[in-house]
Amino acid sequence: MRDKREIKPVNSFNQKIDYILAAPALLWLTIFFLVPYFIVLIYGFLTPDIFDIKFEFSLDAYRLIVDGTYFRPFYVSFRMALLTTVLCILLGYPVAYFIARAKEKLRNTLLVFIIIPFWTNLIIRIFSWRIFLSYNGVLNDFLISLGLISQPLEIMRTDWAVILVMVYVYLPYMILPLYSVLEKLDFTLLHAAMDLGANEVKAFFKITLPLSMGGIFAGVLLVFIPALGAYLIPQLVGDQRSLYVGQVITYKIKNIPRNWPMASALSFTLLILVAVCLLAGYYLYQNRQKTKRFG
Amino acid sequence: MKLPRLSSFFKGMNLTVFTFVMIFLYIPILILIIFSFNDARIITSWKGFTFKYYAQLWENAAIKEAFWNTMLIAILSTVISTLLGLITALGLENKRLKGRRGFMGLLYAPLVIPDILMGVSLALLFNFLRVNTGMVTVLIAHITFCVSYAVIVIQSRLEDFDYSLIEAAMDLGAKPRTTFFKVKLPLIMPGVIAAALLSFTLSIDDFIITFFTSGRGFDTLPIYVEGTIRRGTITTINSLSTLMIGFTLFLVVFTKRIRKSLISFF
Repeated sequence: MRDKREIKPVNSFNQKIDYILAAPALLWLTIFFLVPYFIVLIYGFLTPDIFDIKFEFSLDAYRLIVDGTYFRPFYVSFRMALLTTVLCILLGYPVAYFIARAKEKLRNTLLVFIIIPFWTNLIIRIFSWRIFLSYNGVLNDFLISLGLISQPLEIMRTDWAVILVMVYVYLPYMILPLYSVLEKLDFTLLHAAMDLGANEVKAFFKITLPLSMGGIFAGVLLVFIPALGAYLIPQLVGDQRSLYVGQVITYKIKNIPRNWPMASALSFTLLILVAVCLLAGYYLYQNRQKTKRFG
Repeated sequence: MKLPRLSSFFKGMNLTVFTFVMIFLYIPILILIIFSFNDARIITSWKGFTFKYYAQLWENAAIKEAFWNTMLIAILSTVISTLLGLITALGLENKRLKGRRGFMGLLYAPLVIPDILMGVSLALLFNFLRVNTGMVTVLIAHITFCVSYAVIVIQSRLEDFDYSLIEAAMDLGAKPRTTFFKVKLPLIMPGVIAAALLSFTLSIDDFIITFFTSGRGFDTLPIYVEGTIRRGTITTINSLSTLMIGFTLFLVVFTKRIRKSLISFF
């Protein structure tokens, strides 16, 4: 096998050219991605105004974060993100496994079936769930016509609706990375384990699952983090008495009277929470790799 | 080589979950398509077949404007972020470049932070700079979230690149410029096209970041649809949605490249 690292790419005789090429995008991300977070940090320590913001120092917003006034939305979002992630693993794993072990010609077709809903506009999908789940909706009509229920079920605007739609939206994000790991997995190892007397369940937990951990981590990253910041799903199908942190932030920015310092403080806290989750995940993953190597 | 067969229990379970998930994934889409032809104001029960909501769609000026806004933003942000992505991927190609890890960190960061935070932070930036929100701010926002994806997709194509082809071209006397335009660029073109398609779909799909960075009077389709759902005047949304699903189907089924790039992305 040719080693790619040995051969120097042709356009890199000069590192200066590399920096010049990379500069525009990196500069762009610095101005429009990094700098804005500094503004979020600063705005959290200013004074709210009905329509705008006053440039006067104030600790009020962070005081409300620290004393737990806004604990509830974080809890609601965190709990739902966690539940969504677990359900996505439980549903996504068998699906990814099924596709990875299907006949090679069939795999691409099956993947397309997973990708089509994933590539369909998010709002449209949420909207159709509203038609399906609403009080006079398709599901209730169907269940009543079957005689299974006599009264329509109230599913819309409950946590059940949010779970259902969250899993629906984020499931492909779990299936695709899992599939790409499972597809490359050497199933002869499984064969070896079973030849040596492991039963199927044991072989799965000792071989397949540990070897697909990378895919699970990637999937968790792609599901849990966006789910933590969810706004649209709880807004369109959720119970409006228990607000998610994404909704609270949006209201503080959009609705009058505005409270941008509060929105900033909440956003920054969410950012820290995401960073902590990422670092924890990374640490766990690294640790696992190490124990695997020496254990 | 014969692979161990799974026992019927395991296989049965996987097939069951797969079937269940397929039904789960397609219920909402089928409902939308069917009900877009339903001749009733209230969408829940079937009243007969009609094309009338498609005709209404055609006559709706607000939808048309939102459609053209969406296309304008999508095309501009695709072109700009793909070009930026291409030159950045080329610049960061050498793995021994000083500071590369930090640059890669900056490129990956937008992918692992919830969208809503990018929306909020850009909204506050534009407020801080006293910029009026509208088309330009939406375009800036879209380029910001597309460019990372573009770089990463093109980079994954460069990873598989066979540099002996470059050496061969140079051995045969091609100048660096000729080598780049005649050998390298054509070979990484599939990655560039995949990046463009990905940027385009991300742009037309985005709601939350556009929501925070567009002012009044500049609606993209997702913004328009959300507003319509909130106001409850939803008769044309089914037909609009069906057309948008058709567009997605077209992209996914007929462009192998986007499929491959998406699969290789994970």
